Amino acid sequence: MNADRLYDRSPRFVIELITAGCLVAAPFVLPYLGAAPNTVNRILVWGLFGIGFDILFGYTGLLSFGQSALYGTGGMVAAYLLTRAGFPHVVTALVIGMVAAAAVGYLVGLVALRRTGIYFAMITVAIAEVFYFVEFNPLSEFTGGENGLPGVPTPRFDLGFVKLDFSTGWSLYPFLAFCYFLGIVVALRIVRSPFGAVLRAIRDNPLRAAAVGHNVHGYKLAAFVIAAAYAGLAGGLLGVMQAFMPPDAFMFETSGQLVMQTAIGGRGTLFGPLVGASVWLFLQDFLQGTLGLGASWKLVLGIVFVLLVAFLRQGIIGGIRDLVRWLRHRAAPVQEVAAEEAAPIVPADRHVAPLPAHAVSHGAGGEPILRASGLTKRYGGLLANADIDFAVMQGEIRGIIGPNGAGKSTFFKMLTCEVAPTSGTIVFEGSDITGRSVTDVCQLGLTKSYQVNQLFNRLTVRENVTIAALAELRGKFRLDMLRSLLNVKGLQEQVERTLALVGLTARRDVPVAQLAYGEKRRLEIALALASSPALLLLDEPLAGMSPRERVETVGLLKSIALGRTMIIIDHDMDSLFELAGRITVLQEGRVLVEGTPEEIKSDAKVQEAYLGGVNEDLAA
Amino acid sequence: MSNSKHSPTRRDFMRLGLGAAGGLAASGGFIPRVFAADQPPIGTFPAGVSGSSVFIGIAVPRTGTYAVQGEDELKGWQLAVEHLNSGHPLMKQISPKTKKGVLGKEVKYGVADSAAKPNDAVQAEQRFITENKAVLMTGSTSSAVAVALNKLAQREKVLYVTGISGSNDTTGKDCVRYGFRQNFYGQTAAAAIGPVIVKAYGKNKKVAYLTPDYTYGHTVTKSCQDYLATAGWTTVTNQVAPLGAPDYSSYLLNVANSGADVLINVNWGHDAVLSTQQAQRFGILDKMKLVIPYQIPFLAPEVGNNLTAGVYAATDFWWTLEDKFPLAKMFVDEFRKKFGYNPEWGANNAYMSFAMWADAVENAGTFYPPDVIKSFEAGRKLQSTVGEVYIRKEDHQCVRPVIIVQGKKQAEMKNKEDFWNVLEIVPGEGLMQKPDAFGCKLGDYT
Amino acid sequence: MINWANFISQVFNGLALGALLALISSGLTIIYGTLGVLNLAHGAMFMLGGYAGFVAYQATGSYIVAVAAGALSLLVLGILMERVIIRHFYGRPHEDQLLVTFGLSICFVELVRFFFGSESRNVPPPGPLSGVVSLGFAIYPTYRVALMGIVAVALVVLFLVLYRTRLGMIVRAGIEDAVMVDSLGIDVYRVFMVVFGIGAMAAGFAGIVNAPVVSLTPEVGEAILVQTFVVVVIGGVGSFPGAVLGGLIAGEIISITSMINPGYAYVMLFAAMTLVLMLRPHGLLGTPGRE
Repeated sequence: MNADRLYDRSPRFVIELITAGCLVAAPFVLPYLGAAPNTVNRILVWGLFGIGFDILFGYTGLLSFGQSALYGTGGMVAAYLLTRAGFPHVVTALVIGMVAAAAVGYLVGLVALRRTGIYFAMITVAIAEVFYFVEFNPLSEFTGGENGLPGVPTPRFDLGFVKLDFSTGWSLYPFLAFCYFLGIVVALRIVRSPFGAVLRAIRDNPLRAAAVGHNVHGYKLAAFVIAAAYAGLAGGLLGVMQAFMPPDAFMFETSGQLVMQTAIGGRGTLFGPLVGASVWLFLQDFLQGTLGLGASWKLVLGIVFVLLVAFLRQGIIGGIRDLVRWLRHRAAPVQEVAAEEAAPIVPADRHVAPLPAHAVSHGAGGEPILRASGLTKRYGGLLANADIDFAVMQGEIRGIIGPNGAGKSTFFKMLTCEVAPTSGTIVFEGSDITGRSVTDVCQLGLTKSYQVNQLFNRLTVRENVTIAALAELRGKFRLDMLRSLLNVKGLQEQVERTLALVGLTARRDVPVAQLAYGEKRRLEIALALASSPALLLLDEPLAGMSPRERVETVGLLKSIALGRTMIIIDHDMDSLFELAGRITVLQEGRVLVEGTPEEIKSDAKVQEAYLGGVNEDLAA
Repeated sequence: MSNSKHSPTRRDFMRLGLGAAGGLAASGGFIPRVFAADQPPIGTFPAGVSGSSVFIGIAVPRTGTYAVQGEDELKGWQLAVEHLNSGHPLMKQISPKTKKGVLGKEVKYGVADSAAKPNDAVQAEQRFITENKAVLMTGSTSSAVAVALNKLAQREKVLYVTGISGSNDTTGKDCVRYGFRQNFYGQTAAAAIGPVIVKAYGKNKKVAYLTPDYTYGHTVTKSCQDYLATAGWTTVTNQVAPLGAPDYSSYLLNVANSGADVLINVNWGHDAVLSTQQAQRFGILDKMKLVIPYQIPFLAPEVGNNLTAGVYAATDFWWTLEDKFPLAKMFVDEFRKKFGYNPEWGANNAYMSFAMWADAVENAGTFYPPDVIKSFEAGRKLQSTVGEVYIRKEDHQCVRPVIIVQGKKQAEMKNKEDFWNVLEIVPGEGLMQKPDAFGCKLGDYT
Repeated sequence: MINWANFISQVFNGLALGALLALISSGLTIIYGTLGVLNLAHGAMFMLGGYAGFVAYQATGSYIVAVAAGALSLLVLGILMERVIIRHFYGRPHEDQLLVTFGLSICFVELVRFFFGSESRNVPPPGPLSGVVSLGFAIYPTYRVALMGIVAVALVVLFLVLYRTRLGMIVRAGIEDAVMVDSLGIDVYRVFMVVFGIGAMAAGFAGIVNAPVVSLTPEVGEAILVQTFVVVVIGGVGSFPGAVLGGLIAGEIISITSMINPGYAYVMLFAAMTLVLMLRPHGLLGTPGRE
């Protein structure tokens, strides 16, 4: 399962069938390899626990060291129901445990997800410790304290015509294998859905994911809850498997073990945790038993782990995949499309119908589509933008120029609401958007292409555009986890249209890393374009381009300007004068002058600003 | 897991014979069997005894907070297995029917590191059961592990004798038909040491407790409080510290300011060492008397600085008992010969547990678990390293004395292991609670 | 009905606990602030410093040598670790950095267990500092009082290095904007190496001077690590004054809570961290906008 590909090209259900086949074959094959049934059962439980964690970490990029809290919660709730509360049905108790864990996960996520990256990891560590403590002491009546809850029964089904009694060892295996299979099937659907696609976008570039219109926090919270649900179910199964729910399920070490197993097996593969658990448990038994290493088995494991993290980033599964790929290349060398030879843009793309821009809510005549009044931004003692009044009419192409340090990028950031102004207001299409979020603003129809490429680096060109288009078609948040990506209406159309507009149709399946610089810039624009914005901001679209690329890009910009409004910042004044109808000049955070390109060219103040007041005689 | 359909072999007749002989020889409540068919497969029987050896699964902490005590226990088991296989005279004193091995079979064992975690212990023992067909499980230093293994034993129908386990619950509300405990525990410790310290320090004293925050700690503290209340002792503070706390300063300051006369430290393992050392540094041991109601093996040497001088403690065994009991002398001598130091009570507990199991099996004449259990419950008196003992059938707890010791001053120590002076050997009968007082309900035999 | 003597002694004790936490946390915060790497092996380094000092003490019997050994060996280890391993992870996502330092912490702990076993080891306080001193409101171990002084001195030294030397200025600039420092032509990698070394040394130094207070086991760093996180979050990432303030606050929370209900001291610490996260996410003295 390749986490990097959104569009699953393998025949339908191949992975599911293979998994089912392996699970069915296991009890017949594994004993010959010396595997004890209880070990296999344990591996399944860890594998299930890890599926949810892999969705959280491998697919969404959130490294949580606190999964043990949810594992233990689900397990304790289920075990408590089955032992002290005398609840009769095992499966129902497991489901209740899972739901309880998901609910707790939601609450925990609200706290933990306020921060990202490393802060988030630290908070999850703290949460794991707190839960362990709470389980141990204040709630020990429910959890049995350090003794745990013994006497958890195994499932029994009376189907009328047959009685199924799963007790222990190989007898319990079918039940656990079935649970694991269900877990995998659901997980595969999730990662193949639009929801799953957005998760991956968040992993690669959360900033851009938000900027193209996705409610990043909502998705992260949903992923967290999913991971919690898997953890809770696995915890319940642990209790059933051992006939005993141990307190050490809550220990930080359990989280640590899960993280290590997933990294060893391969993150972002869904099966990584299963592989990692097999390696871990096998090594634990082998090193202690056969090699008689006693206590130092953990040292060996630690070293193996560090080496894997350093050299095999995608773990064992990733390593196998790379090996297979390498062998295939050796066998049949494929001509690689030369990355340097960027596909030229076909200039006559005017035949491609422009993407319909968002319907403008206010009449075309008279009212500007965007008006900023008194916009100011202060960073401590530094005044980046001071009292800017700025208005753009619908359909206009406006250029913004100014010497370095004029505050152009800051101005753009305020317009897209990436940064909140210190004072002033912004009105877009008649509504006040001051202080809103970049996601909301994008959904309203205002997007930006960035000066420094903000792409989803692990995805292909087509996948990048898909992410942006998904926000347009589904709104900023939707829990469509069980839907297939291929079933989103209008998605393919939108993606193809956008690609055609920027001339990247031929390169659609190339990963971003293999693109030429010019192509990346075009993709950058495509991302901003894919949501059919009414107002498109472009921050130095021509930066770093060769003369030929510039000409091509100017042609591109002209073609995409049809039916929408654009504001462009750039330093290439020749190109900008060609493109724009009006130019605004910023200097030192203020508007210096505004006018047509002709007026600006001959304006003395502008020349002084750029040249520092040299010879007036040189004015053209 | 085993094939019960086999034509009668020499083995079956031997079993028959032994069964009959055993039934005739043993005393009280023992149902004589005639047919092998009365012993259907259960647990690892008869698969685990079909060869020339039987297997014992040992899950003991070799890393973590209790590693030191774990290693000592392990040596006790190892010595016991060696003696069983060779038919050592010491073993024969405790289990008179032992000749060589157990019922003629060699005893083998496997060791796994439980790190005092119930989950790891259960995992390891499950492997021993499925792969090695273990007929006996043992191991614990933490009562949490003992309780977990109790439950596992009952579910898998494989016998379990505890290692060190001090909580009342192990033969209390968490007792099982398939589990047995040799050593002393919270209730008996409190009941034994209570009168001693009341006699030493007088009535109506103020007590401060340092309690580790888990059920072992809480039950021992409670047992102490209940007994001492009858002599008018009041609790001025009970400082509950989490397991593995590195720094007891906050708790000790509270204790120092509490005005207590006596400090009862219920902490165990490394926590006991640390809290005692820090108590001394806060000047508490100069102001109050320290009492250790449940002694920790190697506390005295680890704590250092002769901090245990004058301290009263209750323990399961101390090597100077060799002067009082001939079997103790044999045990201590053999242990020291093999391992180079005097055994602590964990090792003694381990040795005795195995010996009692061997005795039960020999008397049952079979490894069939329900029969072995009944043999344990028969109430036979055994000679042990601390005199005569027996297993109480209502809760599978061994009725045995508690040893009250007092720490020696540096000057009085005759050698570098002479930490404790044995003051009293309090008989067990009077110390134990009524069999059903802690809610013990033994389960089924099968 | 507060026992005033007890209250004052707990407040005092809180300062002692807090000072130590402040020292360890400063190391963590400057590493994270400058390199952007959260060193999950920080607790293990604290433990290693203690053991290095223990070995030196066994060899020489001198407390001073032990402290020097603890600090210097961790300086060397920190520099080595940065050069050999961490350096290769700068370009990699944060999560990989967390994973590798996590793995290293496990290796360190198990290595120590392999060589030293699991029993606790003792480093006694130096002669003149053992024993007790009467502070009026409480009897207190002399060494702990001295420890406060030692740690305070170490913090002052760290402060002087950070705020009064050129290296310190570069480090603080690097905390604010490492890219900029690089563009100015300063060898950022050398700075990183030095910072990692200093941060490790702070942890190792704390580990050995704390050894006479708590005895040494391989696990001694684990609890400290979590407390350090809490301090860094409360104080603000990358902020040295924040680490100090956060440390003192954390120390006080632990001791004062233990007066009311000893079991909950830990939980209160996390509750405080959660509160800070909800109300002032960048910490008390951190800069807003830092991740």
